[in-house]
Amino acid sequence: MSTNQDIHSEFINTTEEFQQQEGLHSQEMLLNMGPQHPSTHGVLRLILSLEGETVTNCTPVIGYLHRGIEKILENRPFMGGIRYMDNADYLSPMLNETVYVGAVEQLMGLEIPRRAQYIRLLTNEMQRIASHLVAVGTYLLDLGAFTPVLWTFRDREGILSLFEALGGSRFNVNYMRVGGVLHDFPKGWLKECQAFLDQFEKNMGELEQLITGNEIFESRTQGVGYIDPQQALAYGLTGPMLRASGINWDLRVNHPYMAYREVAVNPQVRQEGDCYARYKVRMQEIMESIRLCRVAIDKLPGGSISARTPIALRAPRGETYFALESSKGEQGVYLISDGGEYPWRAKLRGPSFVNLQILPELLRGYKMSDTVAIMGSLDIVLGEVDR
Amino acid sequence: MRLIFADDIGTQLLHGILSWEFLQFIVAFLSIFGFVLTSATILVLAERKVMAWMQDRYGPLHTGPWGLLQSVADVVKLLLKEDIHASKTDKALFLIAPSIFIAPVIAAFAVLPLSPYLQIPGVPLATGVVFLVAMSSIDVVGVIMAGWSSNNKYSLIGGLRSAGQMISYELPLVLALVGVIMLTSVLAGQPGYPTSAGDAIGTISFIEIMQFQNAWHHTGMPVLDFIFDGFTPWAWFILVQPLMLVIYYICGLAETNRPPFDLPEAESELVAGYLTEYSGMRWAMFFLGEYGNMTIVSAVTVYMFLGGFSGPGVNFLTGLHSLLWGFVGNILALGYFVLKVYGLCFVFIWVRSTLPRLRADQLMQFAWLILMPVTLGNIVVVALLYFMLSWAPVWVYLVTLGIVNWLAFVGFVFLVSHVTKTTTHHAQALAIRAQLRTKPIEPALPLRDAVPVHAEPLPQIQSIRAVKE
Repeated sequence: MSTNQDIHSEFINTTEEFQQQEGLHSQEMLLNMGPQHPSTHGVLRLILSLEGETVTNCTPVIGYLHRGIEKILENRPFMGGIRYMDNADYLSPMLNETVYVGAVEQLMGLEIPRRAQYIRLLTNEMQRIASHLVAVGTYLLDLGAFTPVLWTFRDREGILSLFEALGGSRFNVNYMRVGGVLHDFPKGWLKECQAFLDQFEKNMGELEQLITGNEIFESRTQGVGYIDPQQALAYGLTGPMLRASGINWDLRVNHPYMAYREVAVNPQVRQEGDCYARYKVRMQEIMESIRLCRVAIDKLPGGSISARTPIALRAPRGETYFALESSKGEQGVYLISDGGEYPWRAKLRGPSFVNLQILPELLRGYKMSDTVAIMGSLDIVLGEVDR
Repeated sequence: MRLIFADDIGTQLLHGILSWEFLQFIVAFLSIFGFVLTSATILVLAERKVMAWMQDRYGPLHTGPWGLLQSVADVVKLLLKEDIHASKTDKALFLIAPSIFIAPVIAAFAVLPLSPYLQIPGVPLATGVVFLVAMSSIDVVGVIMAGWSSNNKYSLIGGLRSAGQMISYELPLVLALVGVIMLTSVLAGQPGYPTSAGDAIGTISFIEIMQFQNAWHHTGMPVLDFIFDGFTPWAWFILVQPLMLVIYYICGLAETNRPPFDLPEAESELVAGYLTEYSGMRWAMFFLGEYGNMTIVSAVTVYMFLGGFSGPGVNFLTGLHSLLWGFVGNILALGYFVLKVYGLCFVFIWVRSTLPRLRADQLMQFAWLILMPVTLGNIVVVALLYFMLSWAPVWVYLVTLGIVNWLAFVGFVFLVSHVTKTTTHHAQALAIRAQLRTKPIEPALPLRDAVPVHAEPLPQIQSIRAVKE
């Protein structure tokens, strides 16, 4: 607790002086925020020490949503594990599936057809849009604006409907396969997708008009939850969190995988490092993803949608790590195979889990209302933190 | 003490209590009481429907035609619900808090007439603004009691936030109305305007403030008299004091704990604030009180700035001294009043679906650093202009004041958009400095107001693709 005293000497000294003058005694209030709380984005529990409304310390408690996904992966054949990856980061199942099948393919040394690669790029970018929409919408809900969340969920609905046409399920799509994808596009799907993108771009304009530039929103987010670039690197942040702190690091550019080797991505970077920058990066990435979706539709090659794979997949003995740029950051899978049908060990590298670590550091000294503003800007998914 | 009865007590009763005034009192009381309660349920439904419309969804659909009976079903459900209270609450306070919250809301309506006939006769009307402000200040007691007695940390924080907020916003709220009251005292001596006590002093009675905005000189032309008798929109105080209307309305938003000032019950931070431990009818009473407050704020705005229940035909018809036409005139007045009140309530709902929530310190800064000086300045301007233009006819004064106030209105919008951000940046500076001190290395970024606004671009990490090419 001594470090806290140092950190908050400015607040605490003034209050202590005041108390000594007035002969008052006060103590820190311990507030359990969560696991059932409207804005902890799931079942995160924060133990907050409050000095008045100022947060002096914060301890996140995780694990309420632990389902043992890694262990489940080790007890399923390679094909069977794909469906369980949907539930890790449940806001971006397509990206999760892609990273798992990517790791298996890397282990097996499979070369996937170009059409499958582009289909993956298209679905991944749409998933990124859907995930960012939830992030932006719920963030504004945390800040007290009610309308944006319903607008973003309306647009997300369009993406989920398109996914339903692809995989048969809206949410746990189970669309990726080792070596390619499950189906080719249904008839008319691409046209619908283009129509959706056109409509969605207009809706984004509306959303931007509603949120960006609003004085209350700006004063709630600008200068709040500032992350130094060095600090961001030290904590291993990835994704929009890192790019909002001014570090240009995007796995789609820096370690291009699959179709990203051929499609150029403009990474969205901002220098401010506060909550507003993180929000802006997400909004810009949505626009960039719309562009990428259009590029993928334009450049979509013909051919097979899946490489030839044996019915019973056997990965050779060895280990591998495959990572891609998920909506939240670097989503990685580390696989060890003993040559059998099951992975011997599967380890997930979840961006939410890593990004969450910086939260106690960020909250200190801010007001209690800023707690939700900062936490919302991290865009964590507890399904992936707890796995 | 010995009671002394007169010999003819029966006659006294007949003339004192069983009188037309008493009948008017009963009718007005029941109308007002009914209006508050039904208005709350209607507003709940309206809020859900309007917000649904703004948010691209349907809202309630299945209870009754177009979901119109949803509020009725909700009220019935809340009435029938079990009255739960947690075991370690401060029982007496916990049980009485909702009543203390809702009682002033209903009491405050006593000074708000609904039409020429539907008003409580007698003294309360004369003390209008003071009585109303006093009543709306009592609300905060109920909120603090609820927050403290719930024995819940969220409730406590909510209750204390609410106390600070309501007390802070009470001041600019009252000060915004002072300008209008001063105007009535300026106008009181003028020909055509009502004089309350026979001499030229102003008034704090709502009905008289309304008459000050609707002084029509009879022309003798029936059509013009029918429309404009008691309805002169060009003399409404909104034209002279637009800024004060806006400030009163903003303070009203804060008084009623509506977004963007709904910190006491901020659902994303405090679960439900002081309402967290309440359920069933006690919760509904808080809810009712909040929506009743919304109606009061709108009604006061209507009386002070928008000409009250005045509208074409009201004065003309009630002035005919015929029972039937008087009834029609009263209904018309009620219609205009409800229309204006709900028009303003619509703005409440509109604001709610548009704006995010402020932070507690920003809320206080807004009240004390922006609203207070502006309202105080307005009082000074109203008085100064009066002294400077005392030689001129009163309309010159009104026009000048109107122009000054409209300019101030534009300036206010500019002020809010620029000052709020910078002041809140200053408030953030402490926290950011505290954070920076923990870091072992020097901050790499230059700080302005201790807030990093612009950062030096870091050396770009070279992309693999670039290396390949």
